[in-house]
Amino acid sequence: MSASILTVDDSASVRMAMRIALTGAGYKVTEASDGSEGVAKASGTRFDMIITDLNMPRMDGLTMIRELRKMPSQSGIPIIFVTTESDESLKAQAKAAGATGWLIKPFQPDQIIRIVQKVLGR
Amino acid sequence: MSGDNPAATFRLEALDVMDEVERALLDLGRRLGDAQLIDAVFRGLHTVKGSGAMFGFDDLADFTHHCESAFDKVRKGLVPATGELVSVILAACDHMRGLIAAEADVAAGQVFLDGLSAALAGAQGVTPVAAPSAGAHWRIRYFLPSGCLANGINPLALLAELRELGDCQITALTDAIPPLAELEPTDCHIGWEVELSGAITREDIEDVFLFVLDDMEITIEQIASESTPANDHLPTAETGAIAEADRATKNTARVSETVRVPADRLDDLMNRVGELVIAQSRLSQLAEDSQNIALRSVSEEIERLAGDLRATMMVLRMVPVSQLFGRFRRLVYDLARETGKQIDLVTDGEGTEVDKSVAERLFDPIVHIIRNSCDHGLEDAAARRAAGKPEAGTVRLFAHQAGGQVVITITDDGKGIDVAKVRAKAEANGLIEPGANVSDHDIVQLIFHPGLSTAAAITNLSGRGVGMDVVKRTIEDLRGTIEVVSRPGEGAVITLNIPLTLAIIEGLLVRVGQGRYVLPLSAVEECLELSEEEDRRSQGRSLISLRDRLVPFLRLREIFACDSPPDPFQKMVVVASGDARVGLVVDQIIGSHQTVIKSMSPFHRRAAAFAGATILGDGSVALILDIGHLLASAQPREERLRAVG
Amino acid sequence: MPLADTMTNRTNIAWSPDGTLEVLTFDIGGEIFAVEAVLVQEILDPLPETRVPGADPLVHAVINFRGRVIPLADLRVAFGMDTALTGEDARIIVLQIEIAGDPTLIGIITEKVNEVTTFLASAAEPPPLLGLRWPRDLLRAVVRRGDDIILLPDLATLFAQVTAPSGEPATLV
Repeated sequence: MSASILTVDDSASVRMAMRIALTGAGYKVTEASDGSEGVAKASGTRFDMIITDLNMPRMDGLTMIRELRKMPSQSGIPIIFVTTESDESLKAQAKAAGATGWLIKPFQPDQIIRIVQKVLGR
Repeated sequence: MSGDNPAATFRLEALDVMDEVERALLDLGRRLGDAQLIDAVFRGLHTVKGSGAMFGFDDLADFTHHCESAFDKVRKGLVPATGELVSVILAACDHMRGLIAAEADVAAGQVFLDGLSAALAGAQGVTPVAAPSAGAHWRIRYFLPSGCLANGINPLALLAELRELGDCQITALTDAIPPLAELEPTDCHIGWEVELSGAITREDIEDVFLFVLDDMEITIEQIASESTPANDHLPTAETGAIAEADRATKNTARVSETVRVPADRLDDLMNRVGELVIAQSRLSQLAEDSQNIALRSVSEEIERLAGDLRATMMVLRMVPVSQLFGRFRRLVYDLARETGKQIDLVTDGEGTEVDKSVAERLFDPIVHIIRNSCDHGLEDAAARRAAGKPEAGTVRLFAHQAGGQVVITITDDGKGIDVAKVRAKAEANGLIEPGANVSDHDIVQLIFHPGLSTAAAITNLSGRGVGMDVVKRTIEDLRGTIEVVSRPGEGAVITLNIPLTLAIIEGLLVRVGQGRYVLPLSAVEECLELSEEEDRRSQGRSLISLRDRLVPFLRLREIFACDSPPDPFQKMVVVASGDARVGLVVDQIIGSHQTVIKSMSPFHRRAAAFAGATILGDGSVALILDIGHLLASAQPREERLRAVG
Repeated sequence: MPLADTMTNRTNIAWSPDGTLEVLTFDIGGEIFAVEAVLVQEILDPLPETRVPGADPLVHAVINFRGRVIPLADLRVAFGMDTALTGEDARIIVLQIEIAGDPTLIGIITEKVNEVTTFLASAAEPPPLLGLRWPRDLLRAVVRRGDDIILLPDLATLFAQVTAPSGEPATLV
């Protein structure tokens, strides 16, 4: 079964890169361009996984993760945030907000696939 | 296309190999002693050296030879891999790239070679990093942070990752589970003790727990290989030997060993697996109804195994479309000669895999489509020049996987489909009223209608009694869809969407009245419950408002003429294919179901609403709904929607 | 005496060289019907049926027969009989017939299955032109047995309507 993944990032090119990598591996992808759109889309459909940038206008990634974790329907959904290697404090903040894990950028297509498989178990 | 220039082809290939070598080196830098990575680097360098020599890149071959010898020493265990060695070779890679592009200063290579000798000498004196010896034995004991489930950590995924590392013995630790009254169901109260053996380092294990390592209790201890763990394990010597043998087979397997199997044996196997899935689902049903815990747990295990088996079967039958695409090159070459036009065939996504039988059945339809493009779509050289296009026309074949489907597009940069001609033919055939207000896009779709052969002169190439209607029917027999978009003067794009598997799909089981039906889960976008008000408000209408969008919907109870009383809260399943979307109103959404597809007899093949049938766990039959047909029947409503704007 | 079939549409009956035919007889709609025994795969107790919305009333449902999904036909529809009654003697006869050259399994609803018996060609006649309640072209022969008249239906003609590919498939919506 193809898992469905929500990608949230304000950069269209990053979203495109993620889409190409993920759909190439057989996943279904839905995109959102900022935190509030991410919340809206996630509340309508239960995704198998959410991958999000942290730095976005209107509603940033951390706020979005907090909002999502408040919703019972989103309990247990893996949320992966994208970060640069060095940002340890941000990692801690994100985990405190309810994130599951992280993906380090810049990333190759096989790295994002590996994280997805790791988290979903498939 | 660099087809005729071997040196140019070599350059491209060599750069690809260099990328892989670099990647392996970077990984190796973090995991010194990993034999597989060392092997990968060596093989890459060896390839570049060999091919370089073949195509006259002597400087490259010479230089690479030194790097390769250095790595050979590492591979043979004479010299351990060190960080220094890795970084020197990495730097050397850049030089090699330069040599490939014929832009590097050959003399500058000496600097790298000196660095290489130095690094080698330094490595001689270094004690090798503990390479994971075959048969390393670990005991891992861990408890996950109790709130981890809410944060999306999947304990089963962790166990699956551990299993992938090597042979596992997993025991659940249940002492920390509180009494029922105090049990927080959303917390993880279970711990695990895992005995793991194989060529595994501590880092490998920590990597599995990457996201939770900081917050969890975990002990990882390496057990000396001689010790014998609990009574029902195999003696460690054997385990060690088995692990060693496993690793050896894994390695040889990786050097692409294949076995030829007659396709019909695979078909047989596929059928058996299908029967197994059905029987297993009956077992699950019975197990659920029984109170026998042991039975239930065995049933779940079998469900997991059947699922894995099914997944493996799917993969067995997959072949890359490159096999298919390769046959088209010759076709285009011949077509170019016959038509006197210059035609290039560009392919992309050749690695995309499809089921073997699907690939075979796609050959004829795609041949016909390409022929059409070459014969009718692409203009001759003079016309193309006049239109400001390059003299050579291009036909582009692109394949990729999306969701549970393979998408193949055939694009040409010709003049597109002659809308006027199609319109005239359609009017002549009585398909549309003369002067009727039908959009160009819809006219173009008529090319799939039987009897509408639009070749002005049926040439030898295209008019062999195989029309686009046959193409469409072939694709639909594969439970796929075909769409065409034409841009006048620019060309046409034909898109084929084929499900990855013909025999077993993941389905969504729903109930409409007394009957149960299956929808392919890959087409399902979302499920929702209609409130009483929405239900009432949309009675008699055909469009429903869904988050600021109007979506056509169909009440299946009405369509299937159900006379049983409706469920109080109707549910809606929104299915989609491409941009088309329709909401299906049903009485109940039962859940997902691994659906073994049984085709219908000729008696029911004409019922276009159903793509087949399946047998449920309780032995009853559910009909599988045809998404394409449902979307098409929602079309008139979609039309009205578009007309409204 | 072999039965000369003058109407070309009617399927020939494969009498054996010595003029006999093994058949299975069953009751529907107050009549006794027969089918060639060689076509019979199995006789089943009534099974849950799954209605196929939009299908021809003659073949209105499907059943699960040993893991295969096969059509279920109610011949009473073709003969205009009342379809309500199926008592406790009801059985399903599973036949294997040829449709367009492909062997196809199909279940037939019956109210009672009687016996396997042998017809004699000498006792068989073409359906009479007058006095018959049922459409002639759906029957191949009538056979006299003691006081009973047993009908031999023409399944090929019966099913031809439903399975003939005729342009656009039947649409439901």
